[in-house]
Amino acid sequence: MKLNILIGGKAGQGINKISEIVSEVLISYGYFTFNYRDYPSLIRGGHNFNILCFSDKRIGSIESKLDFIIAMDENTVNEHKKNLKKDGIIIDYKKFESLGRNLNIALSGALMKVLGFEEDVLLKIIQKEFNNEESILAAKKGYDSQERKFNLVKLKNQVKILSGSQAVSMGAINSKMDLFIAYPMTPATGLLHELASKQVESGHMVFQSENEVGAINQALGASFTGAKTMVGTSGGGYDLMTEGLSFQGMSEIPLVLYLCSRPGPGTGLPTYTMQNDLDIALRGGHGEAPRIVIAPGDPIECIEKTNEAFCLSEEFNCLSIILSDKHLAESEFSSDRKPNKILSVKVKRAVPGKGVVKATSYEHDKFGNTTEDAEIARVSADNRIAKYKKMKDYCKKFEMIKIFGNKNSKNLIIGWGSTKTVILDAIEGENFKFLQVIYMKPLSNEIKKEMLKAKNVILVEQNVTGQLGRLIREKTGLKIDKRILKYDGRPFTQDELKKELLKNIK
Amino acid sequence: MKKENLNTNYGITWCPGCPNYLILESVKQALSNFKHEELCMVTDIGCHGKTFDYLNISGIYGLHGRALPTALGVTLGNPNLNVLAFMGDGALYSEGIGHFIHAGRFNPNLTLIVHDNQSFSLTTGQATPTSQTGFKTKANYPELGEFNNPFNPIRIALASNVSFIARCNARDIKHTAEIIEKAINHRGFSYVEIIQDCIIFNPEMNNKDKMMYKVEDNSDKKIAEKLADEWDYNSKAGKIPLGVLYQEKKSILTDKWPQLSKLENKGVGWVKR
Repeated sequence: MKLNILIGGKAGQGINKISEIVSEVLISYGYFTFNYRDYPSLIRGGHNFNILCFSDKRIGSIESKLDFIIAMDENTVNEHKKNLKKDGIIIDYKKFESLGRNLNIALSGALMKVLGFEEDVLLKIIQKEFNNEESILAAKKGYDSQERKFNLVKLKNQVKILSGSQAVSMGAINSKMDLFIAYPMTPATGLLHELASKQVESGHMVFQSENEVGAINQALGASFTGAKTMVGTSGGGYDLMTEGLSFQGMSEIPLVLYLCSRPGPGTGLPTYTMQNDLDIALRGGHGEAPRIVIAPGDPIECIEKTNEAFCLSEEFNCLSIILSDKHLAESEFSSDRKPNKILSVKVKRAVPGKGVVKATSYEHDKFGNTTEDAEIARVSADNRIAKYKKMKDYCKKFEMIKIFGNKNSKNLIIGWGSTKTVILDAIEGENFKFLQVIYMKPLSNEIKKEMLKAKNVILVEQNVTGQLGRLIREKTGLKIDKRILKYDGRPFTQDELKKELLKNIK
Repeated sequence: MKKENLNTNYGITWCPGCPNYLILESVKQALSNFKHEELCMVTDIGCHGKTFDYLNISGIYGLHGRALPTALGVTLGNPNLNVLAFMGDGALYSEGIGHFIHAGRFNPNLTLIVHDNQSFSLTTGQATPTSQTGFKTKANYPELGEFNNPFNPIRIALASNVSFIARCNARDIKHTAEIIEKAINHRGFSYVEIIQDCIIFNPEMNNKDKMMYKVEDNSDKKIAEKLADEWDYNSKAGKIPLGVLYQEKKSILTDKWPQLSKLENKGVGWVKR
């Protein structure tokens, strides 16, 4: 059982509330949900839509064909009717025009009736969310307008909904992060909002800087004093931060950076998704210094990998980058998997306040004194590279890659980040093995072994040039010829990806 | 109080006769009245930045133009440190001017010491935002010189609501030391503009002592504005008032955050929370 529901309307009409209400009821019944959010860069008006997909099995993507269209305006019907399945259902705003701002509640009620939920289940959640007479009447009106078409039975799954932003925030709080410093930029802002709203209870602090250049230098200043510090940004802000990343490489002040991609170059498509910043995550900043780049593929991994990033930064006084994108950050995923045990993050370094501690952007001797001595410069550079070897060994205790699907299959898919869950949905029941790369730097040696075992290797990425493919070729000497690349700012749908994958093994 | 030894064994590489030696001496005199281990400096890039190697206190040798946000970060990390940022006129007024304006808005508890010699010197002499019109540099066509008029940084500090604004003469070691001490004792963002010569690259603007005079500590904004306008940085005409040109008490960054206030009250940084 799997249904794909599009909910559309103008920005400001409250389509997210419909997804939220229906999802909450669905997970309380043990169903898995996935909610994709599609919106242009405007505040009121325009056309926004969510696609809420749910199933009795794990799910992490949407389909291109729709079972339902929930339309808050005529435009939604016109835009999406072509994707409605033959027996698909449209529930529109027309019967509820008198309800004003409660239209979304009426439509939630209508959808709940069609799905077969009892009225008291609906009223309970509306009461909890809104607790006013008007909203309850709207929900009832919506509910009464429809006939039951499905009958969803209660399942035993224990499911929780999380977005990537919420999950990175949890990972940071689990790591006892002290400071988060950022300048607003979509789609990284979700994390800023999450952490800001939780700061007093959890005891950390969120500081909105004057710009990204300020943010990264403030973060390094704060971290120098022993504060566990994180910055967050998207591609354009990251570009501004790169001078600070280079500074980090020389000064070896620990730092965690959250890089949440959107399509570039330039301002690009600010509210859409793309995996086009792997290259800059790996190399952004002048000079040569070690760093860690980790790309979680779902919210549970965001919790775990953010925690690992903090551990690595403190263990090696290094930069750890958590690489995400709009699709992972803003989509609402559901999961029944519990995250790994929290790793405690220890600050072991000397900090100012007791004795003299120096950190510097200049080449320096072991006391932190500036030097231009050739021998010290050579030894320091060697030491930085030697540290990277230690970091690489240390990372082996974490899951740097994961293997899914048919373990004996000769058809190997390689992907990373937010494409993980759609690849899992697309290969369900098919003869594929899926290798998810999680640590982009260092890169696992297992990748080459897996590639050599396979007959067909297929690269799946959401960028124009296949950035992971290029990284793998650099590290293994192996070129991946079969590539499925998408770069229109929209995520893959499970059925289209499946079709593309099957084409590649014919 | 025991006098702290702030010297290092590091060999000084400033030009012979550079007023930076005098500023360093003023800083040492001022710092001798504070607990050594509670001090933390952030230096920028430029001649003044070498101070990092010449002062035996904790600190960060930061990036060009960024000493101010880095120093603000130090106060976020541990509000109990006495934080000093050293910058040059190129670093602060050119590369880092945005951070300066926002530091006025944030009002972090730190002291900014500006070595203003009206030129980029370590890069062998180009115009900064406080260089005079006509300044001949290698970055201009030789016959034309610098086109732009300098801006008045004291005016910018006033417009940015900086809560402590002072100006000193590098050659007056004792007065500069007194002002730096007052700046550190001011709770909030303290800005100390030190007028110094660059004897190598901008001799035209050297020797302004005759224009300088000392004023009483002032906390009236109208008077401060008048004092700011007495010299436009563009010539050797006018008068250059020295001293605390403006000071006001207001809440600082730490006061606005319960998390930071808690650290301040406990006398610790985040690492010991």
